[in-house]
Amino acid sequence: MIEGFWLWLAFGLLSATTFLTRGSFIMAGEKGRLPPALQRALRYAPAAALAALVAPDLLLVQGQLQPFNPKLLAGLAVIAVALRTRKPWLPFALGMAVLIGLRQGLGMGG
Amino acid sequence: MSFGPLLMDPAFRQGAREGLRTVLPFSVGTLPWAIVTGLAMRSTGLSELESMGMSVLVFAATAQLGALPLIASGAPLWLIFLTGLVLNLRFLIFSASIAPAFHDRPWAQRLASSYLLTDSAFTLLSPRLLTTPDPQWRWGYYLAPVLYGWLLWQAGVLIGVFGAEILPRNWSLEFMATIALMVMLVPMARTRPMLLAALAGGLTAVLLRDLPLRLGLFAGIAAGIATGFAAEHWQTRGEPQ
Repeated sequence: MIEGFWLWLAFGLLSATTFLTRGSFIMAGEKGRLPPALQRALRYAPAAALAALVAPDLLLVQGQLQPFNPKLLAGLAVIAVALRTRKPWLPFALGMAVLIGLRQGLGMGG
Repeated sequence: MSFGPLLMDPAFRQGAREGLRTVLPFSVGTLPWAIVTGLAMRSTGLSELESMGMSVLVFAATAQLGALPLIASGAPLWLIFLTGLVLNLRFLIFSASIAPAFHDRPWAQRLASSYLLTDSAFTLLSPRLLTTPDPQWRWGYYLAPVLYGWLLWQAGVLIGVFGAEILPRNWSLEFMATIALMVMLVPMARTRPMLLAALAGGLTAVLLRDLPLRLGLFAGIAAGIATGFAAEHWQTRGEPQ
């Protein structure tokens, strides 16, 4: 365990990674302006990033591909509801109900 | 930076209102995820003060959670720095994409905007930030929701840090963060190139899951961008311009 001064130094270094990455192009200002084609391509970054964050959480159980697990079934329920309604609370309520129902009710792991 | 005149500016206030309205429905996912992060820091052995200090200084859940095992095992500082850098790598892309929205802001405001940039701030706010010409409207549209997100996040961490002994741990509440991400993604993936970008991003991240330091996540984002761009190019080639 890192403690005391060295722990706060570690926090400082991690804080630096936050500023270095998030600030990279924002701080560069006009100098950091990308070619228009690349800027257009980056419009796909939000969708790609969201999917890259979500997919492993839905499909993997302890690092292994597992197509039928409670999280994936709950996720499919969320997508089905989100396609049909704009009520923001409904996907949360349904997704959590399916997940908790499968895990605690049916004792499904993962 | 003085907030008085800014708050009187009608364009700023209009932007702030619309920005808050954009993020509000998704912010239900923030609190549970923040509580879990708070719990994780305490379980690693950080004190209450250290946990809150880390949360305010770093303000990056993935980097924090990724660094905790290294802190617990007494890993060298350069490795912790490198891990944080790699876990934050996707923000290079976000920063490049959103930067034009801040070109007209002074240095201190760009620094604050950088610190406050999160996954959901980028995905939810960047489309309108990049297409709206009024600079005061844009500043309100960004600043209000990211400050709200920061406060909500720190409040959640605070609950996790101080409730570590009494909070239940088997309620699967962290899944609410995943639901929030899905609810953001669904309306985005309405056009074919967007849908393909999402599918490529998700698939690549799953296939490359065994890469160290979650580099598969970064590879997934890059693959998704390339796929979306290629699909757009392919689609428009068949149509008269």
